Amino acid sequence: MNELSANHFLLLSSALFIIGMMGVLIRRNVIVIFMSVELMINAVIVAFVGFAWEQDSMIGQTFALFIIAVAAAESIVGLGIIMALSRRVDTVDVAEVSTLRD
Amino acid sequence: MVDQPLWITYIVGFIVLNLLLVGMAYMTWAERKVIALMQDRIGPNRTGPFGLLQPIADGIKLLGKEDLIPKFADKRVFVIAPLISFVTAPLAALVIPFGDSITINGQEINLYVTDMSVAVLYMLAVGSVGVYGIILGGYASANRYSLLGALRAAAQVISYEIALGLSIVGVFILAGSLSLVDIVNAQRTSLDLFGSGITIPNWFIFSQPLGFIIFLIAAVAETNRAPFDLPEAETELISGFHTEYSGFRFSFYFLAEYISMIVISLLAATLFLGGFDGPVADGPWWLLLKASIFLFFYIWLRATLPRFRYDQLMGIAWKVLLPLCLVNILLTGLIRLASNNQL
Amino acid sequence: MSAEVLVFDILAVIAVIAGTGVVLARNPVHSAISLVVTFVNLAGIYVLLHAEFLAVVQIIVYTGAILVLVLFVIMLVDQDDLPEFHKGKPLQRVFALLLGVMLLGEFAAAVLTRTVVGQPGPWTEENVTLAGGNVQVLGQFMYSGYVLPIQAIAVVLLVGTIAALALARPEDMSRRPRARQTGTISLGHPRGMDGTPLPLPPGVAAARQSPQGEMRDGIMIVNDAESYTDTAAFEYEYATLGPQPGDRKRNITGSEGDE
Repeated sequence: MNELSANHFLLLSSALFIIGMMGVLIRRNVIVIFMSVELMINAVIVAFVGFAWEQDSMIGQTFALFIIAVAAAESIVGLGIIMALSRRVDTVDVAEVSTLRD
Repeated sequence: MVDQPLWITYIVGFIVLNLLLVGMAYMTWAERKVIALMQDRIGPNRTGPFGLLQPIADGIKLLGKEDLIPKFADKRVFVIAPLISFVTAPLAALVIPFGDSITINGQEINLYVTDMSVAVLYMLAVGSVGVYGIILGGYASANRYSLLGALRAAAQVISYEIALGLSIVGVFILAGSLSLVDIVNAQRTSLDLFGSGITIPNWFIFSQPLGFIIFLIAAVAETNRAPFDLPEAETELISGFHTEYSGFRFSFYFLAEYISMIVISLLAATLFLGGFDGPVADGPWWLLLKASIFLFFYIWLRATLPRFRYDQLMGIAWKVLLPLCLVNILLTGLIRLASNNQL
Repeated sequence: MSAEVLVFDILAVIAVIAGTGVVLARNPVHSAISLVVTFVNLAGIYVLLHAEFLAVVQIIVYTGAILVLVLFVIMLVDQDDLPEFHKGKPLQRVFALLLGVMLLGEFAAAVLTRTVVGQPGPWTEENVTLAGGNVQVLGQFMYSGYVLPIQAIAVVLLVGTIAALALARPEDMSRRPRARQTGTISLGHPRGMDGTPLPLPPGVAAARQSPQGEMRDGIMIVNDAESYTDTAAFEYEYATLGPQPGDRKRNITGSEGDE
């Protein structure tokens, strides 16, 4: 643990991923769930860049840029859905939006 | 780029920061004086000779006011929001080169704090984080009009950020790098004017006139200055985002705006007017002179033009500046490929 | 303990603490602020990994655009005090916590006992500096081999923009803002005893060359108030009461003539 190695970055990535995953499981506010998903995506990006650094390759950074772009597109659509949802059911609690289940 | 011990970099950074703060304080004086002279009056002339102690008097007044926090405001966010604006504003000046390296006591010192390979994007990134000062300030005020004013101001800033960033892509194409030191060095060569023997320096204002104009307009809108200052002017109508701020918290927002004005003027001077390049002696004085021209332009705009309505403002950003930026990038790319015979 | 490890430790610890702040904060705005802190620290880590372009792109795109949009949505959406903090099921939370700890253990075991597979690529530090820096190398790499994914991402972003426009339209078409129409309300229209406007007598309305006005929602909207008021009142009376002494000499169709 004295020299910086890719294991550091992978541990950080897994910690952030798990925190994001617990956020998705525990929270009921749909916007906070969305932010937890973004946290998970960023954890994956850290893993990509860590591997790219370890292997002296540019593919990891390229793919990370693509992930950021696609996450931007996903956030546009996701936030649009959240706003449309809140307009229709007037709440942001995902436990209330259970029409398909019942 | 010279290898220098870290403490020298800190000292250079300290000096740059102090210069910025002093410049910001006297920018307020200069604005009042210049607007006054344009409006055929005198401006501050009582506090010290020519009113030069006016910023100090303003500072003492603002510091002495009562610190009011609204009852239902989110206290922590209320305190942090102006700090975000005020801290991110001078951070962008860290990458601006003030000159070649000088030698003191045998140690070569770079006249910039750091030379990043992505310097210009770093300045844009820092500006993007500054938007949070506006949004969180409006949110934390527990006042729905502040919130709406903040959202409008934030929407304006993020719309003009796009035009700001895209307008300088032409400069990147011509200079081949994102680093400001490389861009200044690319401008220090001479350009032969159509082979006629008249040489002008290779300043990008000559090669990128459209980019320069778009950058100037976007820069004025980005710092919420007249004529794009509708979110701010509405403070008079109780719908600006810093309505609930008083005393030194308000001064954080106010001074952050002046600092970002100075930083963007320095950036414009570096990107388009050659930075510290001058006909006689290269040095920081040229950069400061060119930045002063832009600052005077800012003040002149404020004194002269009426402000835009909000929908006109947003229409300009998305319908006028953005397509022009894309056209500029296309043309610059084509010309660069043609000059490299790669078409 | 090299300086790099120290810097990484500081950035990583703050990032993880801010990450837990995202999940645990009660107010979604505090969650968003914690997420900003996380992203900025991750950008610092990318700079440590010699991926400077990615770091600034992360700040510009993620914190400067996506999280700003998230904050917009938080503030524009009406939020009541969600019951998740005082009515949630504690069993579910304990279970999630156990699951998280287990998963962390598994991840740590996998990471610490891994072997590197594959060969390292060519872009060591010296090669990158020789080729001009991180941005230049990335540009060459992306635009020579990965042009097609770049175009695909452009299409994805376009589709996302169109989707956002489609989602932002009001669903109830009656709430869609109508094209603005301006009209002048005539108060000179003859009214009955209860104040409601009277319809013009059928002969009068038919004799008109062009309609001067229409009834809409019980209000008379006319094109030109003066001429309408002048003629309508007269013609109503003319049609119902007949010519009166002292009337101006005018025909029913509005043209001047001798009586």
